[in-house]
Amino acid sequence: MWKILVAAVALLSAVNAGFAASAINKDSEPRTLVVTQGSSKTDLQINPGETVQFCPKGCFVTLPNGDLEALNGSETIEISGGVARIK
Amino acid sequence: MQDGRHIMVLRLLRLLAVLALAAFASPPNSGAAQEVGQSIAGMIAEQQKVLQALSSKTDALEKKIPADADEDSGLLDDRLQLEALSSQALQSALAFRPKVAEINRRLEELGPVPAEGKPPEPAIVATERKTLEAQKAQINAVLSVAETLSLRMNSLIDKTTAMRSELFRKVLTHRFELTTAFSEKIGVDARTEFSRFYDAVSSWLMFAVKFKLQAMLMATLLALAAAAILFFGGRRLFGHMLYPDKSVEDPPYLARLSVTFWTTLVPTASLAAFFAAAYYFFDRSNVLRGDIGVFLQGFMIVVATIFCVNRLANAALSPRLPNWRLIPVEPHAGRWLIRLATAMAVIIGIHIFLGVVNEQMGSPLSLTIARSFVAAIAVGIILLLMGLVKPFRTRTGIRRPWPTWLRSTIFALGGFIIVAALLGYVRLAMFASIQVVVTGTILLMAYIGFLSARALGAEGGFGASASGRWLAARTNVEDITLDQLGLAVSVALNILIVVLFLPLILLMWGFHPGDLQSWAYGMAQGVTIGSVTISITGVLSGILVFVIGYFVTRWFQGWLDGSVMARGRVDAGVRNSIRLAVGYAGVAIAALIGISAAGINLSSLALVAGALSLGIGFGLQNVVSNFVSGLILLAERPFKVGDWIVAGAVSGTVKKISVRATEIETFQRQTVILPNSILINDAVGNWTHRNKLGRVEIRVGVAYGSDVKRAYELLSDIVRGHPMVLKNPEPFIQFINFGPAALEFEIRYFLADILNGGAVQNDIRFAIIDAFAKEGIEIPSTVQAVVSARKPAPWPTDDDKVEAEFAARAEAREKAKEQAGKRRRKLRGPDPL
Repeated sequence: MWKILVAAVALLSAVNAGFAASAINKDSEPRTLVVTQGSSKTDLQINPGETVQFCPKGCFVTLPNGDLEALNGSETIEISGGVARIK
Repeated sequence: MQDGRHIMVLRLLRLLAVLALAAFASPPNSGAAQEVGQSIAGMIAEQQKVLQALSSKTDALEKKIPADADEDSGLLDDRLQLEALSSQALQSALAFRPKVAEINRRLEELGPVPAEGKPPEPAIVATERKTLEAQKAQINAVLSVAETLSLRMNSLIDKTTAMRSELFRKVLTHRFELTTAFSEKIGVDARTEFSRFYDAVSSWLMFAVKFKLQAMLMATLLALAAAAILFFGGRRLFGHMLYPDKSVEDPPYLARLSVTFWTTLVPTASLAAFFAAAYYFFDRSNVLRGDIGVFLQGFMIVVATIFCVNRLANAALSPRLPNWRLIPVEPHAGRWLIRLATAMAVIIGIHIFLGVVNEQMGSPLSLTIARSFVAAIAVGIILLLMGLVKPFRTRTGIRRPWPTWLRSTIFALGGFIIVAALLGYVRLAMFASIQVVVTGTILLMAYIGFLSARALGAEGGFGASASGRWLAARTNVEDITLDQLGLAVSVALNILIVVLFLPLILLMWGFHPGDLQSWAYGMAQGVTIGSVTISITGVLSGILVFVIGYFVTRWFQGWLDGSVMARGRVDAGVRNSIRLAVGYAGVAIAALIGISAAGINLSSLALVAGALSLGIGFGLQNVVSNFVSGLILLAERPFKVGDWIVAGAVSGTVKKISVRATEIETFQRQTVILPNSILINDAVGNWTHRNKLGRVEIRVGVAYGSDVKRAYELLSDIVRGHPMVLKNPEPFIQFINFGPAALEFEIRYFLADILNGGAVQNDIRFAIIDAFAKEGIEIPSTVQAVVSARKPAPWPTDDDKVEAEFAARAEAREKAKEQAGKRRRKLRGPDPL
């Protein structure tokens, strides 16, 4: 019984992870990413401390320092001190 | 000595390691930058080439798209190609990531540019910084090319999507002039078409028989062997599931489902295997020539589908075995439904097969229209007939039709198809009929799934299923747990069916997988209300976290109570208090973590809570006060579980202290739920607070005139002689009153456990009665009830006086009668005669 429950939980969490790229803003001011996904280019504002999920299947993103990066949809972007790092 | 040598060796090793590390870790800086620079230049050139190739392919596709405007498959193909190109562009852009990361890392190592007024950085650093930034700019330029290209491809993809939906709309709303389509020419067309088809098939047959007979026979035999292996093997493996046991009165739903499944699967799979093997061997031995391969393939698929539909309908409705039906319909109606379903499959199959033939032979449009027209009308008629079937029986035995909503839907669909076809919207009619058939099949499957889920969720349903039996045999799960598990499985199955079949139906209705994906993604992303985003995954994970937290709390509670505190000989009341406090704290923490996992910001929640607290303070005053009182009870512990308390009129044993109220069981076994605030605000007596010591009084009356001293001695002996009466404090006998009926004594004694009071009182009273009876001391009983007997009136002594009184009474009665008679006469008025 417990094993089944644990297995189900593990499965669920595994499904939950790896769903889209996510970006977390660790700064104290909002940061903006420019996301080019599909045929549109949108500004994605991330409030301080917020984590957003975006880009489910590959996109281009302009980071706050002006760098352009391609994402395939499983990355985590961490913004701290105005610098974004892709993990 | 040896130790010293050891240390020497270790030191040497450490030195070597440090040297090696230094050699690897610090390569000459300028050399590395150059190397990186070279590789980056090469990479940029390479990716630029790739992007250029992609760009020219996109150009070609952009030109091709308008040419494909009238052909759905062409547009779909373009779209798929564009999608592939777009992902290639992304891959090409992704290739730069390690390089960019390397450059960024190096730039970070170099540190920020020194501010003005500070000493400038060394020339070598400045040059390297410049080189790195130049490289980065180059990479960014290439990436932006890729981005622009990707944007262009995606807008082209959007364009194809829009064109496809437009085309779809146009096709559906296109109206054919039936009079021109069904002119005399059609007969000629059909005849030439048929003769061409006949020629093709017969010439192929002649060729095959003449030159390839052996190969054909061989291939057929091999295919037959393959099918036989599958068929008999399947029977052998699943034989017990293939044949329903007629003697079983009420087979479980899952057993019926598995019989249906296997009876459909095994023969269909055998037939499919036969066809596949035959086609394969024919193809291998070059028997197939020209269009024959395509015809044969189409024919085989159609026949296999018809067979499958027929088998499935037979198994699901099984008119011969009423107990084994999946869908409970009458046998007569079931037979009709099987025939109609098979007919529908045959018609659509022929339609598809003729479509293949038409396409291969490049037939005129009129034939295609005629084919679709006939098929649509036939499907419409079959639908109407299906609607007319009366599949159920009322309790009185009258045949009952489908439920009204279903019947009207079937009639509406059938009517729509026929009318559309008759009006000339042949493609619309055909599209609708195929949608009806496919969607109907999917819905039917979903319905069977729901029925199975219900069967699983029913009481004992899971336990009777194979997996339930397996689980019961392997683990020592109780029946109730198994039932609950079945319920959970059934709920999960229901959700699964919706999750599986809904997209399937949507896909059938022409939605794109991409749309569905983005919908699902949007749903998972959630809706934003103000600053709070609520998403399904968030809520689900929040609930999951809470459930996990709850179970962990329960487990911790149990462990703390059972293992730690029980071993530590902690007082039961304290144990209870700690357990409860841990439980509340755990659940509260789990709830908080769950809420934050659900994506709801706790600070915004705090704001809401602050605003609401005033209202809650007034509205839930009682509840809150009880809650706080409960916490105080847990902390202060004026009583604990098992204590005998008296609160107001309630006296009894404390059974449970919970956060709002306390359960008290009176000695009559009545459970009284007392709000905690009463227990805190009012006086509560606790017989067993610090100890269970308590005093008991027994009153005894002795008749006046008895030997009081002797009685006193007897009482004293009895009470001192009882083993459960405490010697200290000493029992005491008080001569308390010269009562109205007796001389009253009171025996006062202490018991170590006041809860034994009743038994001891009994013992002492019996002993007193016995002792007094032996000594002849009377215990008087006061008569409480006064019975008043009715006494007759005394015989009169003065006769004359009585007689006079009697005469006066009789006279008065006479007078009263006379007066009453007069009054009545007056009132009556004149006589009518």
